[in-house]
Amino acid sequence: MTKKRPQYFLYHILVGGFAVLLLYPVIWLFVSSFKESGDIFITAGSLIPNPFTLLNYAQGWEGFGGYGFGTFIKNTIVFVIWMLLGHLISCSLIAFGFARLKFVGRGFWFMIMLVTLMLPYEVVMIPQYIIFSELGWLNSLKPLVVPAFFGHPFFIFLLVQFIRTIPRELDEAATIDGANTFQIFYKVILPLIVPALATTAIFTFYWTWDNLLGPVLYLNSPEKYTVSMALNMFLSNETVSNWGAMFAMSIVTLVPVFVIFFIFQRYVVEGISTTGLKG
Amino acid sequence: MKRKSLLLVFGMILVLLLAACSSEGSSSGSDDGKVKLRIAWWGDQPRNDYTTKVIEMYEEQNPNVQIDAEYASWDDYWQKLSPQAAANELPDIVQMDVSYLAQYAQGNKLADLTPFLGEQIDTSNMTEDYVNGGKIDDGIYGMNTGVNAVGFHYNPELLEELGLGSEIPEDWTWDDYKTMSDKAVAQGAFFDTHLRPDVFFDYYLRSQGSRLYAEDGSGLGYDDDKLFADYWSMIAEQVEKGATPTPDALAQITGIEDDPVVKGEAIGIFQWSNQFVGLKQVAEKPLEIAPMPGPGTSDGLYLKPGMFFSVSQNSEQKEAAADFLDFFMNDVEANKLILGDRGVPGSSEVKEALKDEVSEAQKQVFEYVEWAETNSSPMGAPDPAGAGEVIELLETLAEQISYGQLAPEEAAESFRTQAEGMLGQ
Amino acid sequence: MSSRLRSNLWGYLFIGPFIIGFLAFTITPMLASLYFSFTEYGLFDAPKWIGFENYIKMFTEDPRYINSLKVTIIYVFAGVPLRLAFALLVAMLLNVGSRAVGWYRTLYYLPSLIGGSVAVAIMWRNIFGDDGIVNIALKSMGIDSIRWFGEPTAALWMLIFLSIWQFGSSMLIFLAGLKSIPASFYEAASVDGANFIQKFFRITLPMLSPVLLFNIIMQTISAFMTFVPAFIISKGTGGPLDGTLLYSLYLFKQGFEYFNMGYASAMAWVMLLIVAILTGIIFLTSKYWVHYESEGK
Repeated sequence: MTKKRPQYFLYHILVGGFAVLLLYPVIWLFVSSFKESGDIFITAGSLIPNPFTLLNYAQGWEGFGGYGFGTFIKNTIVFVIWMLLGHLISCSLIAFGFARLKFVGRGFWFMIMLVTLMLPYEVVMIPQYIIFSELGWLNSLKPLVVPAFFGHPFFIFLLVQFIRTIPRELDEAATIDGANTFQIFYKVILPLIVPALATTAIFTFYWTWDNLLGPVLYLNSPEKYTVSMALNMFLSNETVSNWGAMFAMSIVTLVPVFVIFFIFQRYVVEGISTTGLKG
Repeated sequence: MKRKSLLLVFGMILVLLLAACSSEGSSSGSDDGKVKLRIAWWGDQPRNDYTTKVIEMYEEQNPNVQIDAEYASWDDYWQKLSPQAAANELPDIVQMDVSYLAQYAQGNKLADLTPFLGEQIDTSNMTEDYVNGGKIDDGIYGMNTGVNAVGFHYNPELLEELGLGSEIPEDWTWDDYKTMSDKAVAQGAFFDTHLRPDVFFDYYLRSQGSRLYAEDGSGLGYDDDKLFADYWSMIAEQVEKGATPTPDALAQITGIEDDPVVKGEAIGIFQWSNQFVGLKQVAEKPLEIAPMPGPGTSDGLYLKPGMFFSVSQNSEQKEAAADFLDFFMNDVEANKLILGDRGVPGSSEVKEALKDEVSEAQKQVFEYVEWAETNSSPMGAPDPAGAGEVIELLETLAEQISYGQLAPEEAAESFRTQAEGMLGQ
Repeated sequence: MSSRLRSNLWGYLFIGPFIIGFLAFTITPMLASLYFSFTEYGLFDAPKWIGFENYIKMFTEDPRYINSLKVTIIYVFAGVPLRLAFALLVAMLLNVGSRAVGWYRTLYYLPSLIGGSVAVAIMWRNIFGDDGIVNIALKSMGIDSIRWFGEPTAALWMLIFLSIWQFGSSMLIFLAGLKSIPASFYEAASVDGANFIQKFFRITLPMLSPVLLFNIIMQTISAFMTFVPAFIISKGTGGPLDGTLLYSLYLFKQGFEYFNMGYASAMAWVMLLIVAILTGIIFLTSKYWVHYESEGK
């Protein structure tokens, strides 16, 4: 204990100090959200709001056109839940197929999957929009959420890489015990990739939370808007942007992501030590 | 304990999903024989709020009409509009900008409003120039929601402090501009901040009897490259002597909030009249509006449509849409909510009624635009398709000139060959 | 049923969702864009076949295109290694089991959570502004302050710094990877008397290599596609003097501002080719340095 102390302090000074440095912009954003909107840029160098005001929060929370900011947060939460369900179910199944099963065309489909990531979305956007318009899915979450149930290359590849680090002896042992392929997936592999699944969940959460282009394209009625769209509405290209309200609501929308991350990061780093290695 | 919290989370998820499904169901169904219109615009919080109120007012007077609003910020709005246009899913009424109007009209995405003029849309209180603001080829593809005019928005206190008189005279010239700049520089102040290349080069060309784009949009509208060289030499000189900040200094500015004029480091700013209100709001200083420098001011100046409301070609309710446009343009009570936010209104009746309603700053804008009405010339054809690319080319060249990387004469030549290629397509 | 058929069946059963989704939502738009790339297409009019003209124009008549390619390559090859090295370093620092570390992990992740909103652009303007903290630091070290938004090279580096600052996602994946290395490996190495550096190269790096491969490939692909930061920081212009005109930004401008969708599509397919070749090379080399526990030692 006594031997550990100096090292312990050094660690916290180093890591903590560096965190503060990295977080300076975020701290600035936080502090600025309590400044009067007109002062933000004039007193940009100061980290003490003077005068201190909560007006930005009140103004921002009011929303616009009769829809409060709470509406947008609720919409985003619903959006996120669907995406989480979609990604966790589909990506783990697909990844298991790619990583553990031998079948004709495996390499081909894996390559196709990666290639879909390499074409800039801008050029497929319009044809895709027309497909969804033919399906009558415009102005709903469907064009955003339904594809999530068919996997996302990023997460499939991530899970594949994690499954490949798991020794095959475990599968073989289960097969000897009479497990079929689905049972191997469900009982052996799934518990071992909890960290990667938690990573998938975290990324899905905040990418969805942050997703601007999707909602912009497919949601038309303000009552369905998500927070990312709503935040941009404090900006003006002709007159004066309401930076204060925008900052305030940025902070508000950061809170759920922050909390979710704090809860889930434990599973990223603890998953394996509680479930693995025993088997 | 742990199990309980897990159950709670699942319960919450279920409730939310159910709520989502049910709310979706209620909004889509219900066919009650009402005329339903979709209207889209870009804007910020205040505009979204008052436009929603205008719509409510209209719905009250026309109980058989239901109007659904779809608004977004500027960038998001255009992002949304092009796929909608490609899929023929445009809202019935769309707000349009001068720079995109030709593109959408010539792509056959907007309806010609000519049949509705004098029928659903009353134009009797508007000038012909005003209505023609939305003219592309032979049709009117957008109803002008209000006009703006360029000018010099300056701080008279600083002007006086620097010994340049108490105000800028109406008939000032580019020569005055240069000599006043010299005096400002001598005392360590900037005269102005920046002239947006496309806007003010066009003004300069117009004041010399030319214009930036040919009337039919097929190429450039001026023949003599000396005009280009003259104008940009003057701009480069201003930067060189320190009357205008260098482009790298300008790039550091976040927005109007930390503009040199707001910080009291520059006398004024050349910009559109609708930007005056915002500037005054942030600057918290007395500000005045002067016209553009001459000679040829009245040839150079024109009233630019602030924005348009267009009716989409795929709309099945064009008459109903036109009727709402009329309400928006001509209804006095509605305009008391709008208060000139989309430009100074065209209807003389509305303008008269608003005089006592608008803010101090807005009043100055109204007065300036009124002055400009009699001291300007017709705008002519709006920006042709391809203008967006030309404007960026001009901005890049202007930047290079200001950095001293390119001589104005060379830039003139390069601009002509490249721009003609972009417009001639 | 033969075991071969059975394993094929299981395989397609598991990856089935991907194939269905691909056929339903992805393949048609992709092929459509490939077709558009051989046409003159302005979004609202019918595409007109022009053969390889777009592709030829790109490399012979469009200096802005060449410039955007150059800028993007610098962005990718400077940004990705720095970001990954930084992410790995922090992940190793935070791979400790104390309670406070959970907070650190969250704090270090915070910059990435802010994502691509306009607020980021404003923060960045404040930090790299004339009186911003970066220039104050430079001045205190006796270096002239830099006009970060006014000089093309400086502006590009500012974008690279932004991408390094948002290192959180790579860090998290590294952390998950580090955690799956059994502690017994390190204990055994300690018994053998290996020092920290030896442990890193003999255990950490090989065991982490599958995750490293993932991060390298994904970060390279996404760096090539970077759009939002360049868009918000340059206010949509890609300036100064096209210094931050990344490939995707130029492509967006061609497609949606200049309405040359045909040309933009051709640009997209060239990009696909470049990224695919690069990814292929990385995959080929991975045989020599990636170590899969499931495939024996």
